[in-house]
Amino acid sequence: MGLKMEQYGLVLKEVEAGPGGKKTLELLFGPQHPSSGHIRFFVEVDGDIIVDIRPDPGFVHRTMEKLGETRHFIMNVPLFERLSLPDAINVTWAYSMAVERMLGYDVSERAEYLRTLFGEMSRISVHLYDLALHAIMIGSSTGFMYGFGLRDLLVNLWAIATGARTTPTWVLPGGVRRAPPKVFYERLAGFLDFLERKMDEFYRLVVKNPVGYYRLKDVGHLSKEEAAAYLATGPGARGSGIDWDARRDMPYGVYKQVEWEVKVHDEGDSLARTLVRIEEVKESAKIIRQLLKIMPMDGPLIGHNAAHKIPPKDREFLNEQVRMSGYYVTTTNLAEGTGLTEGGRGRYFFQVFGSGTERLFRVRISTPSWQNLRAFMKATIGARLMDLPAIYGSFGFFPPEADR
Amino acid sequence: MGLPSWLLSPRLWDFLVDGVVSTLIILTIVWAERKIAARVQMRVGPFHVSPRLGGYLQLVADAIRFVMQEVIITADSYRVLFVALPPLFVALALTPSFLVPLSPHLALLSRPALHYGILMGIAILFYTFIMVVGIGWAVNNRFAYIGAAREALIITAYEIPVATAFADMFMIYKTIDPIEIVAKQMYIVGAIYNPAAFIVYIIGVAMATSRFPFEIADYEGDVATGPYSDFSSIFLALTYAGGIYIALFSYSLLGALVFLGGWAPITPGPWPADIWGNLAAAAFLLFKTFVLMLFFVFLRSVMPVARLDHALSFSWRWVLTLGVIATAIAATEYFVL
Amino acid sequence: MAGQKLGEAIKAVLDVIGLGLKYTIKPERLTIYYPYEAPDYMGRIRGWIGLWTERCTSCMICARICPTNAIKMYLEKNGRRYPGIDYGRCIMCHYCIDACPTYALYPTEIRDFAFYKHEDMIYTPDMMRKPPQVPKLVPEVVKVVHEYRNGKVVKLRVGKLEEPKPLPPAPSVPVVES
Ligand code: SF4
Ligand code: SF4
Repeated sequence: MGLKMEQYGLVLKEVEAGPGGKKTLELLFGPQHPSSGHIRFFVEVDGDIIVDIRPDPGFVHRTMEKLGETRHFIMNVPLFERLSLPDAINVTWAYSMAVERMLGYDVSERAEYLRTLFGEMSRISVHLYDLALHAIMIGSSTGFMYGFGLRDLLVNLWAIATGARTTPTWVLPGGVRRAPPKVFYERLAGFLDFLERKMDEFYRLVVKNPVGYYRLKDVGHLSKEEAAAYLATGPGARGSGIDWDARRDMPYGVYKQVEWEVKVHDEGDSLARTLVRIEEVKESAKIIRQLLKIMPMDGPLIGHNAAHKIPPKDREFLNEQVRMSGYYVTTTNLAEGTGLTEGGRGRYFFQVFGSGTERLFRVRISTPSWQNLRAFMKATIGARLMDLPAIYGSFGFFPPEADR
Repeated sequence: MGLPSWLLSPRLWDFLVDGVVSTLIILTIVWAERKIAARVQMRVGPFHVSPRLGGYLQLVADAIRFVMQEVIITADSYRVLFVALPPLFVALALTPSFLVPLSPHLALLSRPALHYGILMGIAILFYTFIMVVGIGWAVNNRFAYIGAAREALIITAYEIPVATAFADMFMIYKTIDPIEIVAKQMYIVGAIYNPAAFIVYIIGVAMATSRFPFEIADYEGDVATGPYSDFSSIFLALTYAGGIYIALFSYSLLGALVFLGGWAPITPGPWPADIWGNLAAAAFLLFKTFVLMLFFVFLRSVMPVARLDHALSFSWRWVLTLGVIATAIAATEYFVL
Repeated sequence: MAGQKLGEAIKAVLDVIGLGLKYTIKPERLTIYYPYEAPDYMGRIRGWIGLWTERCTSCMICARICPTNAIKMYLEKNGRRYPGIDYGRCIMCHYCIDACPTYALYPTEIRDFAFYKHEDMIYTPDMMRKPPQVPKLVPEVVKVVHEYRNGKVVKLRVGKLEEPKPLPPAPSVPVVES
């Protein structure tokens, strides 16, 4: 029919490798792909095997660091939580911690407890989010709906506690913004029971199911040395046997007051990373249960130094709500502060430099997804094409967070 | 009776019943698939279009949408096959259901040809999925190529076990005539005669019609929708969103005849005299088909997708072994019964 | 491939099929049928923002703390400036409400409002007393909450969603006469 091979056929790319060279097929995976998210990968496959993968990030780059220099430091809280909305609390916590250290603020005891409680909820939220997306990437729509259905219950709890479902804007330098109502604690305890039961079913449906098991088992292997060399973090590192968790190793919040353990798996494959997630959800539930018993139910929501700036008539209901007027008149010091928290996907790190005005001179942000990108690429080489989603999902890569 | 004789022709009735009921069954099965998945997934599924009917009319709405959508034929596709293959796919997928009888006297074909009805049906069904490979080629898109290549690999993997399963049953019944096959299953259905063959059949059909966990050729995770990834509108309805279900219907109809005893306990009288009996037999057969299809679509709600090489090795290693076991059982029964 | 044994795998498959059948027969649903039902946040969710102009001192703190620059100060006839919010930009953080020294801004929990035109999203000070009218899709909307009993979720109905009412008159405060 006079068809030209270039027109009707696979356009292969020639790679000079070895004596004969070889031909590979370049696939453009994303940013419009069903399972890529806002990132593009140039995937080179030789037959069914991925021989090279190059990321093309930046589709959702929003100049977070630069924007952080252009506004009052308190206005950065709603901005930075948009780095990773599923993990909103842990991001803003890290930022607030940095600002607290810069300004020399103390955090009230109740706020520490509340932050820890919400930080764990945030971890559950982000793990559910990642597990759900991972499940749909390996084809289980039930896992997807389980994750998002459960997360919906959780964000509804957030809504009555903080005032918004996914954008809490709740952690402020010095403390937290608003106290949850009584009914929040009651429902939270019930939610945890439901969550644990459903996570168990999720495990049976997606992970223990042989189909899902062999999708995850032995794919995307990342050895301990590689994980360390490529700076993997969060489940990406703990799935490879690196026993590091900022909650334990760089203590913050009240994690010392509760009993919990860092979940580590040594296998370094997608299954290990998924199991780390599932077990961390259970650990978080355990932490929250303990916190519910020991946390103070009354007390100021922000520390003394921050409360000092609040006008007296607003200070009366500091146990219930914190008003912004105090922050509005606060300027930054000529100082520097760092904040580091362990989010669901790994560690968040903020470094802020004060300028003496209301604006920060410089904000530095380091996010876990960006770190895990290199580890992900390393893990992908040599895998099969159908493993790509299974590995990609197991790192919980979140482009808005990586691109900042 | 006062009706003209052509109105009472069993061929016409077979055609009508098969055509109308298969359409209904396919619509219902798509709805049921969504509803079952929704129930397992803690949600409701189709609802707002006709809340009283549980959202059943959603399917009609979707169908209208598919038909009304703009037809997009991509510039670098091979136009002839791009347009010709989807209708061919549907036609081939539906044909087998016309080749088999719906009751002892209700059939489109008559004796010597009807004798080979099931065989012809299987043969045509095996050809149907070659269309998918053709579609993948015609679409001319990298993901479609990969999907088509996967489909080709899978075809080779499931064809032999499915053929074995049917052959085993023919061996047990000592006939390939559909009516006699059903007559042999009057008390015990084929699935009990030879459970191994039934399991092979189930797995093979799940692979053939891209049911979970073998939705590999059109696996969303890496190849978007594989061979169908550039299709829109009516073409998508004919292939991915409709054609596969029609093929599933045909496979299930053959399965219901061979493994589930067809219209078994019902033994209607000759055609023009016992119209209701024959229609009841047809209804019972189609009900069994429906139940089989329900199981296939139910798998979506509990299964992820298997990896290509795992599926292939699973099929070549385990399913084929099971097929051999089924053959052994069939051979034993061939001499014992 | 060290992994599941054959028996384990078959058991796991049967297990998930059983799980699926169980929920097919007896589903456990979380769905809130949205236009008919709406989740109840007990008035604690951040929503539409009202303004009592008589309390406003035109200090412009709200406009300056707004993270998205959604607030514009409009010059009114009495020569003063009052805030008006552009809901196309507002992210409902309620910083403005929390920063207002005279409590002139008023929080509500109205979240579902939609506009046909972009101009409609820009609220000027005289519009900031009347909440946006949500087009009614169904005659009555039931408010529901998810409660947890014995490890199960139950959806409870807790009354009807009311029409957004205009703001009550401002509580007595030091009003600054213009
Ligand atoms: S709620 Fe936040 S974004 Fe909206 S106007 Fe007030 S300060 Fe601005
Ligand atoms: S609404 Fe409040 S903050 Fe805004 S100008 Fe008026 S008094 Fe100032």
